[in-house]
Formats: sequence, C-alpha cells, structure tokens
Amino acid sequence: MDNISKRKELQTSINEDALYTKEELFLAISTVIDPEVGFNLVEMGLIYDAVCDEGGNVQVTMTLSTKACPMHQMIQQWVKESVERMKDIQEVIVEVVWEPEWNITMANEHVKKALGG
Amino acid sequence: MFQISQDFAPPFKLIAPFFIIGSIFYLLSVLSLFGFHVDNFHHLDVKMLSFIHLFLLGFVMMIIFGAMAQLVPVVLEVGHFAVELFYAIWPLLGIGTLMMVFGFLYLPTLLPYGGSVVLIAMMIFVFEIFLTMRKVQKFNVVMSSIFISNTFLFFGIIFGLAMALSYAGTLDLDLDALLRSHVYLVIGGYVTITLMGLSTVLLPMFGLSHGFTKKLLNISISLMSSAVVLVVISSFYDMLFIKYTAYVLAIFSLLVYFYLVYQIYTTRARKENDIYVKSMMLAYSFMLMSLVFGLLYLITSQESFLLVFGWLLVFGFFGFAITGHIYKIVPFLVWFERFSPLVGKKKVPMLADMLPKQSSHAQMTFTAIGVVLITLALLFNNDLLINAGASFLVFGAIAFIRTVIYMINYKKGTIA
Repeated sequence: MDNISKRKELQTSINEDALYTKEELFLAISTVIDPEVGFNLVEMGLIYDAVCDEGGNVQVTMTLSTKACPMHQMIQQWVKESVERMKDIQEVIVEVVWEPEWNITMANEHVKKALGG
Repeated sequence: MFQISQDFAPPFKLIAPFFIIGSIFYLLSVLSLFGFHVDNFHHLDVKMLSFIHLFLLGFVMMIIFGAMAQLVPVVLEVGHFAVELFYAIWPLLGIGTLMMVFGFLYLPTLLPYGGSVVLIAMMIFVFEIFLTMRKVQKFNVVMSSIFISNTFLFFGIIFGLAMALSYAGTLDLDLDALLRSHVYLVIGGYVTITLMGLSTVLLPMFGLSHGFTKKLLNISISLMSSAVVLVVISSFYDMLFIKYTAYVLAIFSLLVYFYLVYQIYTTRARKENDIYVKSMMLAYSFMLMSLVFGLLYLITSQESFLLVFGWLLVFGFFGFAITGHIYKIVPFLVWFERFSPLVGKKKVPMLADMLPKQSSHAQMTFTAIGVVLITLALLFNNDLLINAGASFLVFGAIAFIRTVIYMINYKKGTIA
C-alpha cells in the first residue's frame, strides 16, 4: 500500500479513541532540532499536522524551509524516530509537502524574535 | 510528493581533500605575491601567471569542484552519475596546477604537460556533471546555470590547453586572443555563472529568505553568457564594437545579479550577521567596487583601473564568496559524517559551534585589509604597499587554514 492510500485509510480511521493527541505527537517531534538554526521543528512551524489512530499508526505532515535542504531525508528520519520512541506506536508515515510553502510567519513568536536579531 | 534525492551525498573522505588542498593553495597563492612589483601585474608576466593559476586553479576551482560534489544532488535533485570520479579529480588538479606554476616560473616546456593534467581533471569533472544532468527531467533556472557554466568551462579548458601549447612553442597561435577567450570563458562563463547559480540556492537557504523572484537570475545569466560569447568572437575577429558591447553586458549582468542578492538579503528572516553573512557582504562590496573600476577603465582606458577591476573581482569577490561558503559547507559535512548518526542518542553540537569565531574573523579582517592595500598599490603604483598587502593576506590565509583544520578535526560537543 502506498503512502497516499495509507494516509487516507488512517485519516478515515481517526476518532476520539486515538492513542495520542496532536499535542502529544507535536511534543515528541519537538525533540528534533535543526542543527543550522538551533530551533526545534515544531517551534519553526515546519510540522503542519500529526494524527494517530487507536492502533498507534501515525501520519505526520511537514515541510522544510527550503527544497534544497541537504538534510531533507535525515530530518524526515529523525521525525519518524522521535514518534516511534512513543509507547505502542505501530507505524509512522512522514510526508513532506511544499504547499503551503513555509515562511517565517509560521514560526513561533520567540523564534521570529530570536532570528530577527 | 516532491522527492529530493539525498541518498547520494558523497562521503566526507571524498570531499575533504578538496578543501584541505584548496586551503593550502590559497596560502601558496598569497605567499607568491611577496616580491611582486606593480610591473608584475601584467597578464603575460610569469609571476602573475603563477599567482593567478595558484589562486584560480588551486584554490577557486579546487573548492568549487569539492563543493559541487556535495551540492550537485542538492541543486539538481538527482544523484551523481559516478561520484567516485571525484577521487581522481583533486590529485590531477593539484599536480597539474603545480606543474603549470613550475612551468611558468622555470620550465615552459612543462606547461603543456601540466595543462594536459589539468585538462583531464576538468574533463572528468565536466563529463561527470553532464552525465549527472542527463537524469534531470525538468530544468529550472539554477540547473540551467550549472549546464551553461560547465559548457563554458569545457571550451575554456580547450582554449587553455591551446595556450599552453602555444606558450611552450609547440603551436604558433595568437596568445592574446586565446588568453582573452580563456579568461572570459573560465572566469565569466564558469566561475561567475556557477557562483550566481549556487548562491541563489545557498543565500536564501541560510538566510531563510522567501518572496524574491528568480527571474533576475535568468536575466543576469543570459547577459553574462552573451558577454562571454561576444568576447570570444571579438578576440578572433578584432571587432571593437562587439568587444565593448560584451564588457557592458558583463557589467549589467553583475549589477542585475547584485540586485537579486539585495532582494534575497532584504527578504531574509534570519537577521544574524555571522561570519558567512559578513564574508558575503565583503564579497559583494568588492564586486561592486570592481564594477566601478571596470566602468572607469572603459571610459578612460587607464590600465591601472583594469588591474584593480580584475584584482577586486578575483581576490575580493571570488575569494570572500568562497571562504564565506566554506564556513557553512565544511561544518555541515563534518557534522553530517560525525554527528548525524548520534542524533537522538547523544547531545550533538550545532553547526555554529563547530566554527572557531576568532580565527575565522581574523581571516576575514586580515584578508580584507590585504585586498584594500593591494588595490591602493595598483592605483598608486607603489611596491611597498604590495608587500604590506601580501603580509596581511598571508596572516589571513594562515588564519583560514587554522579555521579549516579546526572544523575538519572537530570532535567535541558530544555528551555520553
């Protein structure tokens, strides 16, 4: 089954019995830090969505600050591993999307302030 | 989903020699400036030819080739055709450059051999890039810039070899015409267009810039490409109008490119002025200054303005653009190799932690002073200022080597 089919199946199965909430998933992913800028991916606004079903199957939708990021696959892998470390997680799908395109307004206020110098 | 190929990132041991040897050539090139007189700053003077080949082949080309091994998959979004070929490029380029420099200074018959070794190194590079590009399905403007620049490099090295054969007495060709074509093809066609293309990817990536238009890159590359072709034509048919048209087009190309860089700068989200940003600011300041002197030369035909134009463009612009990018690329490569497998298992350093601030800033400061002093030496015809400038450049080069060695050997920052 390809990623898109898995995603559709997962999204249709999301309900109130989900094993983890979006906030809990974001908290786990916030351990992943971009070594260039020094902020975690969640506060950078790079994680668009994260959903989990009752069976522990997770779908993360994220972007990167640039298509030319040389750490593209590595960051994707770190996000996957950060969620897999949570208890009873079965499968994690991390999808990188380019729409909407990331910009600094998506980052947290303290990130904007820190980057703004 | 848009898929970017990152599986083909070359190993650090493949790329590291390019940066180490390139740094040594940088030091050698500035050391060669000692004992220079203003009269040596002539395009057929053997000291000048030695210096320019140490700097452009040994440093600029060596670093660009090494950086391209890493950046090609990022920019072209495909893996290398045969990245192992880069293992052959740096030894051939290094040996060929030394042979050519020795040939210029002591033994002209060595030149065709040195030129041939350099030619082989560059041909391997060019064909590896062309074969890699065959995998690209849809070209964007940056990818096109890589294709155009490598095509110019291909012809530039053919002209260079013809010059080496002519210089050694094997062929009887018009050296001046060949030289003009060679210089424009390699410096304007390859180095400048490559820097234009890559910086349009790297500047926004490091500055987190969004909302600028890449159409300006298209315009500046078209103008520079036209200028290079026109100079080559005018070199062989002695058409003054075409030659001056080409010079004007080249100046406009760099001005449009500068406007693009300005847009990237003003739309950046990351306002921190680290050593990379400062180096790039110096690079573009020297580029603008070189354009002013280029225009002055076109108006007055005074040779010292042409020399200053060339000096500021090559050592000021290319030099700082390359050292600035080394301060971003080398920490990333070392981090990728040494620390990325430890993410999630141990505390790992940030990329900025791997850069020694004092020596990198010393390199920037000493080098900037050296560049200005030699500019003044050329303007006021003063030999003493050349030695003073060379002294500052040597201190800058030593600080640069120290910085590169520190970054490559960085092992601290992991906590069990």
